[in-house]
Amino acid sequence: MTSFQFDIGGRARNAGRFIGRVRDELLKALSERKKEGKISQQELASKLEVHRSVINRQLTGEANLTLRSLADLAWAMGMEISFELKKPSVDAGQNFTVTTTIGHSQIKYLGRRSYADNSQISEDSAPSLARAAKR
Amino acid sequence: MTTIQDLVSSGAVSRIEVEATGREQSHRLLYGTPGFIAWLRDLANGAEPARRVGQATAAEQIDQLFDSFLRGAPLIHTRQFRYIRAEENAVWELKTPDVRVFGWFLKRDCFVCVFGNWADKVKDHELYRGYRIAIRRLRRELGVEGTLCVRGVDPGDVLSI
Repeated sequence: MTSFQFDIGGRARNAGRFIGRVRDELLKALSERKKEGKISQQELASKLEVHRSVINRQLTGEANLTLRSLADLAWAMGMEISFELKKPSVDAGQNFTVTTTIGHSQIKYLGRRSYADNSQISEDSAPSLARAAKR
Repeated sequence: MTTIQDLVSSGAVSRIEVEATGREQSHRLLYGTPGFIAWLRDLANGAEPARRVGQATAAEQIDQLFDSFLRGAPLIHTRQFRYIRAEENAVWELKTPDVRVFGWFLKRDCFVCVFGNWADKVKDHELYRGYRIAIRRLRRELGVEGTLCVRGVDPGDVLSI
């Protein structure tokens, strides 16, 4: 066997990746706010009147995030949430998950630098490795 | 000198892929040993830890982790919050709330998964040392210890992004 496709189905994939993206956005926002000296994790906990461990568990994914806790975290960081549902778009040359049952764009915080996955990829990435493996 | 293609041809490792999220091609590569692939099959069939802490299922967590890895997403947000951690002996750990994956980097951005297990089991039974030794032994058996093995404990040594 030269390759293995880890396929968990469209519904599970959609759920898992959405949960992951929400967490990543929170961590990215916290990281940026920390760098700006706007807030620390301890200050976040104080502002929300919870123990620091509660915030820690929410951010590590070891505690469930409710819509309320998500909104609270965004408020405490001084951020605004943007959320929308839309039909999946298929761009030329892009892979498309046909089994996805619901489309949603990335949750992002307004007023901050717009985040796009591809913008994070530098020229040093490994497309050559990918091409070699395809051959 | 052994190449990645040699490892794939001999069945020592297989390429791991997940459904892409808006990407034309992978920016990193993932491989797995036959044992790890068998573990992944169990996971896809619904295997779960005795007490799951994450909101997503274990399989969903791994799908998300692998998708992030392959599309070249940042794996480290802060020192405290990260998906990847260096072990000794050029062994690396990929993390989700409930799952741990251990392996090594064949080349930069090219990771081979050797062991997968539940996070609480790894911690409770202190499996880190055993995994490090087993992975080093496997590299020696495959003859790649000096060639297809990235050294260094800085994420920048193994990831270009």
